[in-house]
Amino acid sequence: MQLWTYEWRLLLRARAAVAGLILLATLSSAGVLSGLHFISAQRANIAQVPALQEEDMAAVRDYVLRSEDAGTAAYYSFHPTWDPPTPLAFAAIGMRDVSPYILRVRALGLEAQIHDSDTYNPELALAGRFDYSFVLVFLAPLFVIALLYDLRSGEREAGRARMLAALPAPGQGVYRRRVTVRALALSLCLVLPFLAGAAASGVSVATMLAVVAVSLGYLAFWIVLAVVIGRLAWRPAAHATALAACWVVLALVAPTLAHVAINAAVPVEQGAEIAREQREAVNHAWDIPREDTMRRFYAANPAWADSAPLGTAFHYKWYFAFHENGDQAVAGKVQAYRQGLLRREQLARRAAWLLPPAAVQVAMTSLARTDLHAQLAYQDRVRGYHAQLRQFYYRYLFGERRFQRADFERAPRYSPAEPAAPPPA
Amino acid sequence: MRAVLRVAREELRFIVRTRSATVGLVLLVLLTLVAALTSAQHRREVASFRERQQAQAQAAFEAQPDRHPHRVVHYGQFIYRPLPALAAFDAGVDAFTGNSMFLEGHRQNTANFGDVRQSSLLVRFGQLTPAFVLQVLAPLMLVFLGYGAIAREQETGTLRALLLQGATRGQLLAGKYLALAVIALVCLLPAVVGLVPVALLPDQAASVALLVLAYAAYLLAWCALVLLVSALSRRGRDALVLLLAAWAVMVLLVPRVAPDAASLAYRLPTRLETEVAIQRDLRQIGDSHDPDDPHFAAFKQQVLQRYGVQRIEDLPVNYKGLVAVEGERLTSGLFDRYAARDAALQQGQNRLVRTFSLLSPTVALRQLSAAVSGTDLAAHQRFLAQAERYRYALVQQLNQLQADAVSLADDSAQDPGADQRKRVSSAHWQQMPAFAFRPADSSERLEAGLPGLTTLMLWWLASLGLLALSARRLGAMR
Repeated sequence: MQLWTYEWRLLLRARAAVAGLILLATLSSAGVLSGLHFISAQRANIAQVPALQEEDMAAVRDYVLRSEDAGTAAYYSFHPTWDPPTPLAFAAIGMRDVSPYILRVRALGLEAQIHDSDTYNPELALAGRFDYSFVLVFLAPLFVIALLYDLRSGEREAGRARMLAALPAPGQGVYRRRVTVRALALSLCLVLPFLAGAAASGVSVATMLAVVAVSLGYLAFWIVLAVVIGRLAWRPAAHATALAACWVVLALVAPTLAHVAINAAVPVEQGAEIAREQREAVNHAWDIPREDTMRRFYAANPAWADSAPLGTAFHYKWYFAFHENGDQAVAGKVQAYRQGLLRREQLARRAAWLLPPAAVQVAMTSLARTDLHAQLAYQDRVRGYHAQLRQFYYRYLFGERRFQRADFERAPRYSPAEPAAPPPA
Repeated sequence: MRAVLRVAREELRFIVRTRSATVGLVLLVLLTLVAALTSAQHRREVASFRERQQAQAQAAFEAQPDRHPHRVVHYGQFIYRPLPALAAFDAGVDAFTGNSMFLEGHRQNTANFGDVRQSSLLVRFGQLTPAFVLQVLAPLMLVFLGYGAIAREQETGTLRALLLQGATRGQLLAGKYLALAVIALVCLLPAVVGLVPVALLPDQAASVALLVLAYAAYLLAWCALVLLVSALSRRGRDALVLLLAAWAVMVLLVPRVAPDAASLAYRLPTRLETEVAIQRDLRQIGDSHDPDDPHFAAFKQQVLQRYGVQRIEDLPVNYKGLVAVEGERLTSGLFDRYAARDAALQQGQNRLVRTFSLLSPTVALRQLSAAVSGTDLAAHQRFLAQAERYRYALVQQLNQLQADAVSLADDSAQDPGADQRKRVSSAHWQQMPAFAFRPADSSERLEAGLPGLTTLMLWWLASLGLLALSARRLGAMR
């Protein structure tokens, strides 16, 4: 036991090591705070939604009530949806800085609305976010390297290696003890700030443990690598060079190469085409017999098929019918687009088997629900809500009912589903 | 001078003899070549894809049948942001912004389908362009090859021997610096080769020259920093660890911390907030839907007076078209105002990021590189501004067509034949101008790059100055 105490004292007496540990703790805290701030800004923006929505709807209400026309109500009413961040989102912001987390939709064609983005500064997004995940993935390995690269070769260079090797049995464990002590110190400096932030953010204990496991596993990978390379009979500087080179390849070079390869292998060009085709389908309705549009619509929506036939005047039920037909026309492309995105993600996950930094990023963003799957899940909720909105307005449009003051209150309200249990990392 | 050259030659010989150093350098050069090739290929594909899409969108617009002009206002137009030639060198924000936009009447849509939302999470690890290799990896190579340049001699005692043989400290440092500078040029060379085809394009030579100058200054500043730390460290490994830390801070950490400081300092309103604010302002200025709206009541009086008639039915033009023109004028004014506010906020954020170039030359180089390549935020904002101007011109032309070519009686009629009478000839669609993005010309991009170049030059001079100062302490230790 006393040997362990000596080892701790030795570590705390090395000024460079202590400075390094303090720096790691500071960076980890800063990453946690920066992430917490970023997410709390998103929460504040979401909290503003009801008041803004109420203000906007008041004007729409006044306008609609002049005619009590359901089509006018459906056309002018925007309905808000939002994607609240999970408690863990602060630790891995993932795609949340470039994907919309507040989106208003109307009962019109959804494909012209659901791909919209929010306002963000692309130059800030390009640099990437400074969150716990960044500290873990990119910076922590450098601290491991700095603290462990010369464990053996340093002793050799100082001329103590032979003496250490000649010590009787308990002394033999000196390297093992030293690695353990340093690994513990690094882990604490990295993980404690995260735990504090996670507690403040209300992260569940199970999720906290999962993140700690990911963090420690990743640290362990680098520690093992440092120890293995440290056993080679090189000079300390050669160890540092080799370890840093490993880190550069795994964290910087290989992921960019994999990215280029994946995007080349799975082109997703459907996005822009979806938007154009949907517009073509929607606008074409003005140039074909209206009965064709209605026939197609009623085939997909038999519930409204016995609605009164169209007269010669404009009727919104025709207008909304061709908007829905427009969405139907591109449904195949939408599915292909989604498959393409998922395929890219799947290939990246496969590449992550070989790239621990990417694997940690995958694990963190999937625990935090800030990855592509979470984005698609939000889109699915928006789609579901949009379908409800359509059915709501169709009752008035196809039932030829007036849209009155009380009806505004009857419109379905979006509720962000409680985030389901995160998938296993 | 001959002594300097001899020191440089010896240092280079040492590096070439160290196998790991040679291998590293060759790999970096290969990586730069791969980056240059794939990035140029990617740019060509993306650029031609967007050109094709743009041509298809334009063809579809012109192929519309006879239509009511207001239908065409809502049919709208799709536009695609072209990719500048230098995006092959530095892709900048191209992947991080939407690159296609739908333009229509009374609405301002966002730019959609950016690569960042359609790529795997690997996109956030960086993009393999020559700019990435030179900004991030080349300094690291200089660290690996240069950390021992002086510390090694100090550690093994050969420094003393060299000084005793008559080499001055200045000559020694100059020689070592020269050797590292040669390495820096080797790192730079493949990227420069990749830039040559771009430089031959019209109006690009000056931008390419500025880029080469800026990257050279950046790498030469790193050479001086590496030598400085090497000269001040007692042991080679101390120099290495210190330099790795400096690299991590300047290349990795500061460029990430700066954006977060910027978004902390300048809050960007959400799109929802802006839309609601625009509607609020619009209700105050004039609401064309409101029959009692004072602005449109006054507008009506003005129109009637101008034509000397009592009723809108007696006007020689379609009053509905005139209202559409006026309504678009009002909303578009608000769009411009709020877009200018958002643009100013984002420019403020970028200015704040720029102050961090005092802590890291990488920040200065990143901004300069994207600005000169025409792939920075300003270039995207330019696209958005031109898109809005085009949208406004197109919509107003169509609104005017409604006023001139569709009679008010037809426009209001609902009888079975009315739909046909409301339509105007499809020949009009071909007369509408196509969207042509005008990128910043060479002189504008050079001007945008100048502050960054100044900062980089200052970094270079400052690091050289410190290196010169360190010469005095050289060999004094131990």
